[in-house]
Parts: sequence; C-alpha cells; structure tokens
Amino acid sequence: MDRGLLAMAGVPQAAPFEAEAGLAGEGLSDADIMLQVKAGDDSAFEYLVQKYRRPMVNFMFRMAHNNAAAEDLAQEVFLRVYRSRESYEASAKFTTWLYRIATNLAVNHARDTRHERPENTVSLDEPDQESGHTLDLPDRTPSAEDAIVRRERVAAIRQRVQALPERQRIAVVMHKYQQMEYRQIADVLKLSESATKSLLFRAYETLREQLKEFV
Amino acid sequence: MKCNEAREVMPDLAAGLTAVTPEVKAHLDSCAECAGKLEAFRQTMSLLDEWQAPEPSPYFDVRMRARLHEESAKQTTGWMRWLRKSVLAASFALVMVVGVSLVRMNSGERGNNTVSPLVAVGPQTQAEPGTAVGDLQALEKNQNLYSDFDVLDDLAVQADVTANP
Repeated sequence: MDRGLLAMAGVPQAAPFEAEAGLAGEGLSDADIMLQVKAGDDSAFEYLVQKYRRPMVNFMFRMAHNNAAAEDLAQEVFLRVYRSRESYEASAKFTTWLYRIATNLAVNHARDTRHERPENTVSLDEPDQESGHTLDLPDRTPSAEDAIVRRERVAAIRQRVQALPERQRIAVVMHKYQQMEYRQIADVLKLSESATKSLLFRAYETLREQLKEFV
Repeated sequence: MKCNEAREVMPDLAAGLTAVTPEVKAHLDSCAECAGKLEAFRQTMSLLDEWQAPEPSPYFDVRMRARLHEESAKQTTGWMRWLRKSVLAASFALVMVVGVSLVRMNSGERGNNTVSPLVAVGPQTQAEPGTAVGDLQALEKNQNLYSDFDVLDDLAVQADVTANP
C-alpha cells in the first residue's frame, strides 16, 4: 500500500465509523494497529475499516459483478479480519494479508455465481450494475448516443478484464486499479516477483490486443 | 538493457507508476518494437481508466457496524454458551461427587450399625458358649436370623397375593 492505495484510501471522511485519527499520527503501522485490535481495541479496528473500506469496495467491485455484491464482500473481508484478530501475527504486511483474504473471497464468489451472471445489456432506463453509472448522468458525455457508446466501451473493458485467466485478472486489478507494487502482488498471489511481472505483461498484452478497436 | 528486461517494467511505466530511467530510455530509443509496445500499453491503460468504481454507499458504515455488532453478539453468545455448559458440567460433576460420598458414608454407617458390637468383636474374640457373653452373641445371631425370616415371609405373602388376586 505504499503508492496509490493510501492515496485512494484518502483522508477518512466524517462517517459513522469514527476512526481514531491519532493512530496514524502516532506513527503506527497497520500491523501495529492490528495488534491493538488483537489486544481488544475495537476503535483500532474501526480505524482500519475506515482506512481500507474504499480500496476494498473498489477491489471487490472489479472482482465481483455489481456494487451491492462488492459492498457485501468488502464487509465480509473486514468481518473475517475481525474474526481472525486473535490469531493475527505481524509476520507479513497487513495489506498483503487483507488482500489475500479479499482475493480468496472474490475468487470463491466469482466461482459460486458463475452461472448467475446475466448477459451484459445496455439499458437506457436502469443504472448499470457493472459500471455503477447511469446513462443520464450529467457527466462529460454530450449526448445519449455518446453515453451508449461509452457504456459499451466500459462493458467491453469489464468483459475483457474478467475474461482473463484468474491470476492475470487479479494481478491486473491489483496493479492497474489498486496501484499495488509488483512485490506486494507477488506476495498476495504467492508468486515470485519475476513471475508476477511476466504475468502482468501477458495480461496487458492480451488486453491491448482485445481492446484495440476501442483505442 | 535487453528487450525482456524492458518489458518487465513496461506495465509500471505504462501505468505511470514509475518514471522512465535513463537505462530504459536508452533502450527505447534504440528499440522501435519496445517503444511501440510501450506506447500501445499506455493507450490500453488510458482506456482501462474508463472503468470507474463507484464510491461506497452512504449505508456502508451503518451496515458494517450492524454486521460487526451481530458478530460480537454471536461471539459473546458462543462464549456464554460455552461458559454455561462448563458451569453446568462442573455442577453436575460436583453433585455426583457429593452424592457418591454421601451414599458411601451412609452405607458405611449402616454397615457398622447392622453389625452388633458384640458380633463385631469377631471370631477371634468369640466367647465360649455358656458364658454370658457367648449367650448374648447367640441371641444377637438369632435376632438377625429372625429378622431375615420376617423379610422372607413378607416376600412369600406378596408372591401369594400376586398368584391369587
């Protein structure tokens, strides 16, 4: 979480979960904070939820297939962290552990719901569960036609990413969207750094080939 | 730098996660294929940016808190159930131990009561027949024998009653 993920997590917003702002200010690492959770400090856990809820929802959104499932899965990740607090050992980076839990959950969810996914369609009336956007959003798109084209493009991106082999897909989501380093992706996937680089190169090569019509 | 080394860093370069080092730049300047590949990767990365994730819903924290509360309650219930079971098991064991001890004590006392002090003196102190102590011992034995007969009589009566209602 050295590069973009902390930036993605952003400054904790004023939310019902009142994270203890002092924890980060005290110079504690996430692993230290998790050890506080292990010692029974629930406010330390709330701090971690607040810090990682956005990256987790984003990760699950791209690994699962709709926003509601993404939030459920992200919450389940935090629940599993909470359940495992007593057995937590600070031997690995907290985020590596967190993403390993998240990856396992997402992969299992994807396998369980493989036959439930509807074919992707573009609807003018309903908000898109996959992209999270509605067609009539007052965004940069100047017309409904452009909006449809854009949604088709986003749907194609999603489909191509999700059609990648499992490990390539996970690696791309972690690298491109979670902005994780090679080393950390390698740790989560239990691969060597070199194998991870090679995996990512192959994945992007496939995506480049399959998405060239949209470039 | 070789092509395969340049390709290893290409995802990071295309995503803008690392800067182009002089070594990589020198390679890209001399290798049109790698330079073209990096440019194509950059375009692909830019396209991938269009797939945006929505913000967590405003209800995320509320639901998270509710699920955590449920989880804590479940764990507390589980712990209480375990404690309740343990206390119940310990109580049962204690009752059993106390019960067995009481039964043993009572049976010990009853055993001592049924044996007359005279008879309990034992064969090694068996008095000679005809002496006062010997006669008393004989009477004690007979009394025990008669009480056994009474029990047998009662049983016989009950058997008769059952046989001839």
